Amino acid sequence: MSKKHDHGHDHDHKAAPMVEEISDFEALEIAVRELAIEKGLFTAEDHRRFTEFAEQIGPTPAARMVAKAWLDPKFKQLLFTDVIQASKQVGVDYLKPTGFGTPSDYTDVRVLEDTPTLKHVVVCTLCSCYPRPILGFQPEWYRTPNYRRRLVRWPRQVLAEFGLSLPPEVEIRVEDSNQKCRFIVMPVRPKGTEGWTEDQLTAIVTRDCLIGVALPKPGITSNIKLQVMHAPGDSH
Amino acid sequence: MADALNKDVPHTGGEWKPVPLLEKIKQEGRVWEDLAHQYGVENPDPPWKTSLEGMCEVLGGNTCDTSAKLDKQWLAGQADRKAVGDAAPLPALERRWEEDELAETIYKDVPFPERQLLALAHSLIKRGLVNEGELAKRLQQVHQRLNSA
Repeated sequence: MSKKHDHGHDHDHKAAPMVEEISDFEALEIAVRELAIEKGLFTAEDHRRFTEFAEQIGPTPAARMVAKAWLDPKFKQLLFTDVIQASKQVGVDYLKPTGFGTPSDYTDVRVLEDTPTLKHVVVCTLCSCYPRPILGFQPEWYRTPNYRRRLVRWPRQVLAEFGLSLPPEVEIRVEDSNQKCRFIVMPVRPKGTEGWTEDQLTAIVTRDCLIGVALPKPGITSNIKLQVMHAPGDSH
Repeated sequence: MADALNKDVPHTGGEWKPVPLLEKIKQEGRVWEDLAHQYGVENPDPPWKTSLEGMCEVLGGNTCDTSAKLDKQWLAGQADRKAVGDAAPLPALERRWEEDELAETIYKDVPFPERQLLALAHSLIKRGLVNEGELAKRLQQVHQRLNSA
């Protein structure tokens, strides 16, 4: 018997699983936040706005920009001449992504175009600068000193650790992000995607492709799960 | 080689000592990865992660009111650029460098984002912005409140 009744839905569906305990870490986040607000370090309203910003960002806008550029030469021209305007066409105002501005992202953003003989990859050697309004939050490995330090010295080796082995004739160019300028990579459109729609192309431009540690491939829509390692000698 | 590699990673020069309260959480707290596995939850991130990110942002001085006012004053030549940075209780770059150091030492074995949270609490306690005793008391209250339903 269906449990459908007069408020327009039924109760046969199963609730999604939930974690049914309060961890010490969850309690710690709340405790620190409450004390900080009470001490006037920030306001609850400011915190709410930035948390909402954090909840809605992801890599889709940047992926869509690349897909659009693959399909539309005019959009590609715009992407390389005025990326702020280009971001508006995918629903993001890069300068005011929260509607009121995020000063740490209130910066320049540039697109690095790969060719068959040139591969770009992005790092932030100083901390973990990242074009969050269009790419979401950094993966854990991007934040580690291991990646930040080693990529600039041994890019070919580090890319191989991500499963991206490039032939010697392909030049690798590492671009260092900073407080003023952030980057995304526009990879070469892969073979086998002829006739694809913008949505299909967007799906294969993963976060890793946009950082430059992976190449888009038909059928691959997820990022690599990398075991984060600490570099030798990192015990300072 | 290790020394050469360490050279260009910024170092705050601070000596890090374990904070007993945070050590207890580090040792006894259940990380999201374990909880998600036990309860069959597929979300890769704990529900508090975005709130933690929001907290890092606002502690870095990225508040609407503060930044807007200071930026206007600075642009109008009424405030020094330094004042904009000084307005932050915990500037983003300092927090990240301290997080790097703590993630490579005291919280080396803690997964992300739990270690980001521990590092943030550690940085706040180190600066005296939050006191370890009051944090312990508040933690107890939070646990009581959330477990009372």
